[in-house]
Amino acid sequence: MNQSQTAKSIFLPLAVVAAMIALWVVVYASGAFHESAFPSPLAVLRGFGEEMRNGRLINDLITSLFRVSCGFGLAVLLGIPMGLWVGLKLGARLAFLPIINFFRNLSPLAWMPFAILWFGVGDAPAIFLIFLAAIFPVILATMAAVANIPTVYFRVAQDYGLVGLEQLTQVTVPAIMPQLITTLRVTAGLSWLVVVAAEMIAGRDGLGFAVMDSRNGLRTDLLVVEMIVIGLIGIVIDRLLVQLTRIPSVRWGYER
Amino acid sequence: MNGNALELKKLSRSFGTLDVLRELSLEIKSGEFVAVVGPSGCGKTTLLNLLSGYDQPSSGVITREGQVRMVYQQDGLFPWLTVAENIALGLRQIKNEMERTRQINEMVRLIRLEGFERHYPHQLSGGMRQRVELARALAGEADILLLDEPFSALDYLTRLRMRQELARILHERPLTVALVTHDIEEAAQLADRVIVLSERPAQVRSEFWIEVPRPRDLTHPKVVNAIHRVLAEMGIEKDSEFTLSKTT
Amino acid sequence: MLRSPIAKILLGVIVVIALLGLLRYRPWQSSKNAATTNETADARPQLNVGYLPVTCHLTCPVTDFATQTSKDTRFESQRFTDFPTVVESIKSGRLDATFMIAPLAMKLREQGVPVKILYLGHRDGSTVMVREDLPAKDLRDLRGKTFAIPSKYSNQNLVIHKLMEDQGVKAEEIRFVEMPPPDMPGALAAKAIDAYFVGEPHAAKAELDGSGRVLYHAKDIWPHFISCVLVVTEKLIRERPEVVRDLVRGIAESGEWAETHRLEAAKVAAPYFRQDEKVVRYVLTQPPDRVSYRMLTPSDEDMQQIHDMALKSHILEKPIEMKDLIDRSFIPKEIKAAPISVQ
Repeated sequence: MNQSQTAKSIFLPLAVVAAMIALWVVVYASGAFHESAFPSPLAVLRGFGEEMRNGRLINDLITSLFRVSCGFGLAVLLGIPMGLWVGLKLGARLAFLPIINFFRNLSPLAWMPFAILWFGVGDAPAIFLIFLAAIFPVILATMAAVANIPTVYFRVAQDYGLVGLEQLTQVTVPAIMPQLITTLRVTAGLSWLVVVAAEMIAGRDGLGFAVMDSRNGLRTDLLVVEMIVIGLIGIVIDRLLVQLTRIPSVRWGYER
Repeated sequence: MNGNALELKKLSRSFGTLDVLRELSLEIKSGEFVAVVGPSGCGKTTLLNLLSGYDQPSSGVITREGQVRMVYQQDGLFPWLTVAENIALGLRQIKNEMERTRQINEMVRLIRLEGFERHYPHQLSGGMRQRVELARALAGEADILLLDEPFSALDYLTRLRMRQELARILHERPLTVALVTHDIEEAAQLADRVIVLSERPAQVRSEFWIEVPRPRDLTHPKVVNAIHRVLAEMGIEKDSEFTLSKTT
Repeated sequence: MLRSPIAKILLGVIVVIALLGLLRYRPWQSSKNAATTNETADARPQLNVGYLPVTCHLTCPVTDFATQTSKDTRFESQRFTDFPTVVESIKSGRLDATFMIAPLAMKLREQGVPVKILYLGHRDGSTVMVREDLPAKDLRDLRGKTFAIPSKYSNQNLVIHKLMEDQGVKAEEIRFVEMPPPDMPGALAAKAIDAYFVGEPHAAKAELDGSGRVLYHAKDIWPHFISCVLVVTEKLIRERPEVVRDLVRGIAESGEWAETHRLEAAKVAAPYFRQDEKVVRYVLTQPPDRVSYRMLTPSDEDMQQIHDMALKSHILEKPIEMKDLIDRSFIPKEIKAAPISVQ
């Protein structure tokens, strides 16, 4: 990217944000909505200050991030090996693909009552729900990526004596890395969506609970604060995962 | 053995009821460069898979003297490894780090890609990639090189240049080569012997010896002559102008 | 090669999770707490009591507040946002005492979950709101209109149907929708609904916003209206009867205090509810008898009446015995206001 493009990539989004805030102010000032139904930017800013001072926002943020990293980490840790197994073994694929598809199509939120019945309220049910939301897409994407590895790589591997575990770690896994990183980005976004939804119901803290709580407390200004934080953190998570695509040995997957 | 690097004895391979190879016999002498040409779908790829050991014959015997390495049409390089790392794959049996690095550098020099050791395949041109493939296959103890239409994915001029390059490299590192190709020019310009396969089930239809030292010009009379004869043998050109015998 | 960056990333991920875990659980703080509060907090029994941030459950956080410093059992109020989660927590055995709507408690009992009603949460404290611009004087004027209730298991639902019957309005003449209470004032303001019946402060909110007016206070329809009750599992009664006795007494005394210290009660409860103190104060004082925390002994007749209505509207499928459902043995003979002081 050259310099003027870099400048544009910073300036243009900022301009759009500014325009949205301006629109917000205009709609608020027009009085089309009652203050309690459409909080002013100022009230939101005040609410932000309030939440920062009493430390609740930071606390909820840490809680949600902790749950997401646990649930998502667990899903990736188990999902990738399972995806590799299902992708490499035809028998396993035939046996498990229908059931994996079945579970993938179940909204994780449908599990909510069971999450509470089995794990109570707190971290465990939220982690469980994120795990459920993330693991099946990870398995399926890993499987698909493995199935798409050109045969020639395996032939070359055999020619040069890469078999068994060496083949897995030095050929199969690197060959699916670019697709895997894309999957991680998608499922991380999904996890973030789910944690907020899960905490709304099975939570006692976390950003999702904060949203629900502000709603119960009739505080739309805090609601907007929390929405902004949730959206921003979503962007940050994705930006972090994008950094993975900068690893030299995966660049090939993005430059063809 | 009797100086043969590769020997096929009455080799047959069928897939279900489809006979692809039937009792094919072939001997390739050590240090010989043999090109196999034939109509498309005649079983060239099957033959190559049998030669490399990737596939097993339905009947017949293959004997190989020494280590076999194969160069694929394209994209046989691991894109997640650098040039040096890809070449290092061919040197896996060398445990000594220093020695391995020395040999990698030697191979890089051989294919004239100094300065590109840390580049990844996608950062190289098609011709450069095929040179790296060649280097990887040649690295270490390879005795027999199998080439599966190695330059077919390249543009015409690059292809011509790569043939010269291959001839030069083989001059520096002589070994037995089996080239399977549909490019008759390529076969005639490079090989000591050109084998023309028949339609399926494939059998040796005829063979030609071209006794001109490499590197050869594409327009060398004997090369042109050989091209014509192969084309005539395959029924593409009329066998009128040249009435030479099948063995020169 | 690939290994080293992957190892680095893995290490980074583990460090981040560990760091988040540390920040989340703050082990250094809990050990400090344990050291300083050992002799007071850890020595006395403790119990979590579930509630929702509605004024019907006001005595729960007040009891929490009252037992922060007392020498008796410590009652930690545990806020929930909806009743299904409360029910699931009870069923999973992670919650043994909670406030909940009366018909839901009966439904639990019917399903074989061993719970008993020990006490009431409040009297009255629910309100029927209509849109400010509708000239409705009673339910007959709401024919063809949309009416929101919190849940079909709520007593509000039962009572409104009884009132319709009394006024000769047929069930299908009013369109009922179930809606989370916090959304009701907004929906009324947006004219998505025409009226609603809900526990406070979700009715008062519309009144304060100017989008709705009171059609009926609960006491106008049914004097000493009951919506929420204190539900305790039989397991807790069996295993820790003295804690249960403390709980009922704590709630009774908190109720007596709230009844007479309404401004202070609003001040105590607002942070627990995370609601605007203004709204809570309004509910408790405008008028003062909008909600009451006295006469909280559940009588067989009251409960039977709710039970019969629930049965009639098929919320309950089979009748249950009042003597199985209600246990009045923990209610103290004499109720004095809890000794609470608010700065």
